[in-house]
Amino acid sequence: MSYDLFTGNLVRLAALNAELDAEAIARWDVDSEYMRQLDSGPHLPNRAKKIREAIEKMQSEDPKTIELCVRSLVDDRLIGFVAFDEINWQHGDTFVAIGIGDSDYRGNGYGTDAMRVMLRFGFMELNLKRIQLDAFSYNERAIKSYLKAGFVMEGRQRGMLLRNGQRWDFVYMSVLRDEWLALNNEQRHWSES
Amino acid sequence: MNEGLLAGKLVCLIARDPADAEIVARWSRDTEYHRLGDNDVAYPQTVKQAREWLERDNDRGFGFIIRTLSDDRLIGGIGLWIESWAHGEAWVGIGIGERDYWGNGYGTDAMRLILGYGFTELNLQRVSLGVYAYNPRAIRSYEKCGFVREGLMRGDCQRDGRRWDSIFMGILREEWLLRET
Repeated sequence: MSYDLFTGNLVRLAALNAELDAEAIARWDVDSEYMRQLDSGPHLPNRAKKIREAIEKMQSEDPKTIELCVRSLVDDRLIGFVAFDEINWQHGDTFVAIGIGDSDYRGNGYGTDAMRVMLRFGFMELNLKRIQLDAFSYNERAIKSYLKAGFVMEGRQRGMLLRNGQRWDFVYMSVLRDEWLALNNEQRHWSES
Repeated sequence: MNEGLLAGKLVCLIARDPADAEIVARWSRDTEYHRLGDNDVAYPQTVKQAREWLERDNDRGFGFIIRTLSDDRLIGGIGLWIESWAHGEAWVGIGIGERDYWGNGYGTDAMRLILGYGFTELNLQRVSLGVYAYNPRAIRSYEKCGFVREGLMRGDCQRDGRRWDSIFMGILREEWLLRET
């Protein structure tokens, strides 16, 4: 029996190292195109120190948030992050967020692979029932990636966002445990005999 | 939906309130109560300690005070501690501090309530507990609520010069649902 929940085809998910990784994340946060795909709030780059403190806080507290970093398998580069946020344990539900901060690794399947690994972790290890996300309608690459990973379009809030003089929608997507199991034919790793 | 989740036949479960610290501190002076509850060294609490305990909040702990329905008395405490959300497993602890209410079904009623709360509100899969072999009244009460003896640890504690086993009991979601429907 040998398997690794945290390794995919292109990337692996690893613990964030507060000391080493905060600098890289701070560099990504300067990129406003990246930040506009990630968040609807005003773009405000974070200082490395603040990011470091946030990582330490997340890692020391009860898991309502689980954030991991995404590393490429070929060269073990730190290329992004993926996180479960606001885990609602009572109802088995969570938000997921992902960002590929290193622009060299966008559009080549790294993010999709990281999301697949994170979904497997959520359903097979955390035993969640539903994983949801929101995306912005101008971020077509992300939406395509989420569809590939198994997310289903659930609804939208029209014209929620104003970017460059144009209004854009908030897009809501989710994947249910049963849908994901049907798509993934996950191997059973344990047996009694 | 679930209107009466926290009210049973004899008792209801109410919020822990620092204003009740004096009552809780009085229970802590009863060493037999301590020994039936856990294997911590029996130690009386000050009102201040009791108040701090009543104020303490934790998002994995769901603690209540037990109040009688007939005469509105606070008689004890009960709580679930989520051991693992991912596996849907919690431990339950109960103590009836008022001796007049021992052996008359009050604890059993409170336990039934918190099992309903755990399985239908928190969506748990399993509730576990530990109890000492010298506490047969509690064991009978737990069995009435549907708990099954699962195992024991031999000679786990020492009381009055003798070693006693601790007994582990548990109830699964499916078992509870079968009993309730």
